[in-house]
Amino acid sequence: MSNKHSVLLKEDKCEGCTNCVKNCPTKAIRVHQGKATIKEDLCIDCAECIRTCQYHAKYAKTDDLEQLKNYDYNTALLAPSFYGQFDRKFNPDKIKKAVYKLGFDEVWDVAYAAEAVSKKTKQFLTKHKGTYISSSCPVIVRLISLLYPELIDNIVPFNSPVDLMADYVDKKIDKKNKDNYSIFFITPCPAKVTAIKNPLGRDKSNLTGAISVEKVYPKIMNIIKNNNLKNIKIKQKYQPFLGISWGQSGGENDILNDEGVIETLSVSGIHNIKKVLDELTRGNLKGIRYLELVACPTGCVGGIFNVSNPFQAKYNIKSNTRSKKDFIEQNLDDYNFKLDEKIKEIGAEKLDEDFVKAIDKLDKLEKLIESLPGLDCAACGAPDCETFAEDVVNGLAKKSDCIFVLRKEIGDLADKLSLLTHELPPVMNDKENNNKNNE
Amino acid sequence: MKKKKIIDSEIEKGDFASGGEVSSKLKSLLRKLGVNNTDIRRTSIITYELEMNLIIHSEGGRLKAYIDTEQISIVSDDKGPGIEDIDRAFEAGYSTATDDIRELGFGAGMGLNNVKRFSDDLEVESELGEYTKLKAIINIEK
Repeated sequence: MSNKHSVLLKEDKCEGCTNCVKNCPTKAIRVHQGKATIKEDLCIDCAECIRTCQYHAKYAKTDDLEQLKNYDYNTALLAPSFYGQFDRKFNPDKIKKAVYKLGFDEVWDVAYAAEAVSKKTKQFLTKHKGTYISSSCPVIVRLISLLYPELIDNIVPFNSPVDLMADYVDKKIDKKNKDNYSIFFITPCPAKVTAIKNPLGRDKSNLTGAISVEKVYPKIMNIIKNNNLKNIKIKQKYQPFLGISWGQSGGENDILNDEGVIETLSVSGIHNIKKVLDELTRGNLKGIRYLELVACPTGCVGGIFNVSNPFQAKYNIKSNTRSKKDFIEQNLDDYNFKLDEKIKEIGAEKLDEDFVKAIDKLDKLEKLIESLPGLDCAACGAPDCETFAEDVVNGLAKKSDCIFVLRKEIGDLADKLSLLTHELPPVMNDKENNNKNNE
Repeated sequence: MKKKKIIDSEIEKGDFASGGEVSSKLKSLLRKLGVNNTDIRRTSIITYELEMNLIIHSEGGRLKAYIDTEQISIVSDDKGPGIEDIDRAFEAGYSTATDDIRELGFGAGMGLNNVKRFSDDLEVESELGEYTKLKAIINIEK
């Protein structure tokens, strides 16, 4: 089982179809021996395979509420998109109080840090020329470091709101009296789980773990229905509605663009985003200063752990935050925006470390691709003929794994066999045939 | 080491739908070969500009790319109409694009200027009414 990723396979449920293989944006999945395998180097935890699998053989591992009992003091961080799960007239205080009731001692909104990032990004964009990409979606950061490393410098060099909030809360906790504490993120997506285990641009995460929205949602609905929440006191007095609007695609940009000065573009859905990044690599998209790219359709509200329909959730957030124009007052110095290190290239695409050997492999690859049918049928277990050829060149697959190649080889062999059956040793006479002809 | 041809593509006049394909394919090949990101970015931009030039301005032509351990060269070869004033063609903002093309968001006059800016060496050969041949060189940083 993977230590790096949170998107995983339930082997017993996998039927060996290639739907996930074909839909994976980084071509990270192969079906071998009738079971899908995810290549760790290439997986970006976007959860497209979970969305695609009709057999529910893909899942994502998260933490549980049970784990709260391992700590003396528990903290929850709520994603902006979390509020989209409730009625369009949601009251953030009420929802937050219900989360306290789940067993948390403190509940914080990531939306606070989101507002801080918005302010910081505005400052950044006035000082730096060019097109920049939001760093808030961990799937996009990983996609860029894997397939678009030439664009790493275009990512705004700030920690994501979740990390900032975790750092902020971690700093605030009175560690002398509460040394055994936790900070859990209630997460809409598996990528945030991965970002805890395997962070990019950071040494480590201050989050203890992440619990999926789907695990807490039913309990929260129950609490809201059956409890009087009036006695619960919440720490923050103001509701960060601007930050909450980050939960749906376009929210982050609306804040940056409120004065109409900063040209922005929001794109959601990972396949769409790849097309936008292609354009950026070619030197296009001039004039656009900021790209809000969120892997899930409709934004974080489209995360697979959410319960509400993504469009409904987007509407809920939009309709409740539309009239809100003011930031929560806070000091930007309370946050440490700067990443610990430059985001590194994942670099899994090289054919060989040695250039000359790589050229040699490229030669083989070209020839092999030419000999394949080019149907991209995926029956070999790879998403397309080109990727299959690469697997063969890298020694990860056999050429005869292609059914068309196999059929041709069998056909050739059969032809050869039939020819051979007519070949008799010179000492033998072809009596049988002669007799038949005489009859 | 002998130069290896890694791209050889026919590009048709007016084929906007395919614009960018060669550039993307070349990028993916250079990634497989382990070329550094700065040079990949430069090569992508140059290739894209040349590709679009063939689509927008030429009567059609070919785009080829070669590589060895030292450099990448991108060669654009077209069937006309040729460049009237080569020096002006490289000036920023100079364009012969029609209004139709400009309405599509192209023809800002930055194409050849970009090619020059991002390449280490550039050779141009053109005869009015006949052909244009461009060769952009990118020295690979080790």
